[in-house]
Amino acid sequence: MRSNKVGWLLLTPTLLLLGVFGILPFIYVLFLSFHQWNPFGASPDRIFIWGNNFRRLVFDGEFLLSIWVTLKFAFFAVFSEIVIGYLLAQLFMREFPGRAVFRTIHTLPLIVAPIVVGSVWRLMTTPSIGIIPYYANQLFGIDINIGRDAGTAFMFTVIMDIWHWTPLVTLTLLAALLSLPKEPFEQAQIDGASRAQIFWHITLPMIRPAILATVFIRLMDALRTVDEVWMLTGGGPGAATRYIGLHIWKVVFPKTDYGYGSAISVIVLYLTLVMCWMLYVGLVAPRNKGN
Amino acid sequence: MAEVTVRNVKKRYGTVQVMHGVSVDIEDGQFVVLVGPSGCGKSTLLRMIAGLEQISEGQISIGGRVVNDVMPKDRDIAMVFQSYALYPHKTVAENMGFALKIKGAPKSEIDAKVQKAASILDLGHLLDRYPKQLSGGQRQRVAMGRAIVRDPAVFLFDEPLSNLDAKLRVAMRVEIKELHQRLGTTIVYVTHDQIEAMTMADKIVVMRDGRVEQIGAPLELYDHPSNTFVAGFIGSPAMNFIKGKVEAPGTFLAEGGARLPLPEVSAEAGRPIVYGIRPEHIDIGEGGVAARVSVLEPTGSETQVFARLGTDSIDAVVKDRLTVQPGTEIPLRIDPRRVHVFDGASGARI
Repeated sequence: MRSNKVGWLLLTPTLLLLGVFGILPFIYVLFLSFHQWNPFGASPDRIFIWGNNFRRLVFDGEFLLSIWVTLKFAFFAVFSEIVIGYLLAQLFMREFPGRAVFRTIHTLPLIVAPIVVGSVWRLMTTPSIGIIPYYANQLFGIDINIGRDAGTAFMFTVIMDIWHWTPLVTLTLLAALLSLPKEPFEQAQIDGASRAQIFWHITLPMIRPAILATVFIRLMDALRTVDEVWMLTGGGPGAATRYIGLHIWKVVFPKTDYGYGSAISVIVLYLTLVMCWMLYVGLVAPRNKGN
Repeated sequence: MAEVTVRNVKKRYGTVQVMHGVSVDIEDGQFVVLVGPSGCGKSTLLRMIAGLEQISEGQISIGGRVVNDVMPKDRDIAMVFQSYALYPHKTVAENMGFALKIKGAPKSEIDAKVQKAASILDLGHLLDRYPKQLSGGQRQRVAMGRAIVRDPAVFLFDEPLSNLDAKLRVAMRVEIKELHQRLGTTIVYVTHDQIEAMTMADKIVVMRDGRVEQIGAPLELYDHPSNTFVAGFIGSPAMNFIKGKVEAPGTFLAEGGARLPLPEVSAEAGRPIVYGIRPEHIDIGEGGVAARVSVLEPTGSETQVFARLGTDSIDAVVKDRLTVQPGTEIPLRIDPRRVHVFDGASGARI
């Protein structure tokens, strides 16, 4: 006999935890986003200011710049990860000596904590002691200084993210490729399709759901990157790599502007949802008929 | 249309040899069925003709052209897979027109050919559907339609009916045969079902363990199987085999003690042989050998009788409706002209 009561009883601990640690904080952040509250500022009182925090966002150059560099970062990082991840997945589909060892080693970055990844890349890129600036200078005569050059700093945050997260993409796409039946590909060979045509007409549509799921996951992760970038560049030089997560952190903690920080958080959540929804509507829904 | 010639083809996977010098000649427009139990190499041979498997030794030619090193797309073949291999994200029309689209054919030509194939297979109303919206039989027809659209020299079918239920299988069997009669294209068809092979083929190739056991027309294989394997494989229910020896000219003595009539064969008395008789070539009547009935299986049109001849089992199919009880003795009459005699050691026909 199935009883609804027992079901709800079993669900209660989960719902309680979700409520206390997920829903309540969200409601609290939403509540704060309509207030001006800086407990360590000149006026420490919490004052209800309607939507003024949101209005302020629109004219806040730092916030807008932060959104722009975050989108740029997310685009370059996620796009590169998908392309490199797919190529690696295809490589792992083939037999070659040492494949198992290489596959294991290649997934190791996934188990490293982001803060450690940030530290290691900082060590590797710090001018005068880092291995990357040293060899770039020795071999190519290039001067790399992520503390001075905004473009280089941005590029290294992207490279670091790619290094850290491509294995996840590889594993997901490898699983998708391995699960594909081989007959449609043989049929395509007989039908006369070239490798590129098979990729475009058969492989890509058949692993589209896996690619999109990976893009969703990686996009949401990239939009909230904080710790790695904080360790590598601290958001600099200037605000060149102050991605939105870092920007919120700066507003909420050093500046203790809780109300405004909450408003940014809410708007970022909204933007993330909208982007995912647009991706879904644009890419998944119309092509989902056959799958 | 084209003839297909397979000459002494061998296939090795590393050190394991799975195909041991297979040779088959398929004439232009012929319907040839490769048949045999699982693992006999029939699908591998088909895939080698398609170019999906490399051959280790030997030669395959299609339409007089050696195709050993020719890519599948350049062999002028079309293949229908057991799983149909439809592209799940393409509609029926897109699936059928894909090969032409890849070739860069104009849309009007693709549409016309797809429409023509669809009308042949009665798929016109399904052209906008996706494979998942079709039944097994419809998918099967789409897979065939895709092959027809390409207008190939040779059709290759790899167990295309295995995933269908029994009734649909019979219907599709007829459809494929009609299609062959209509198009006249050479067909190489793989199946493990000997009924399919018997009913559809102009020529059957019986395979076992990577070797050809016998090649011939269906009735030729039925009437003159070259060994016990072919004799047991072709025909349903399977042929009865009874081990024993030639007792005297015209008499067979089974190991189980029964004495059965033998045809005139060049086997001296005392030679160990295998006595083969098809169940449908046994009837019940005066002067027969006494057998004890174990089980009766009435199917309406006929009755299958499982009986014991001494310690040997024998299986007969009779048109009469029997009412005897299990354990009863009945006289089984065997026409010696219908008996097949095989060597006791090699199993080869004597």
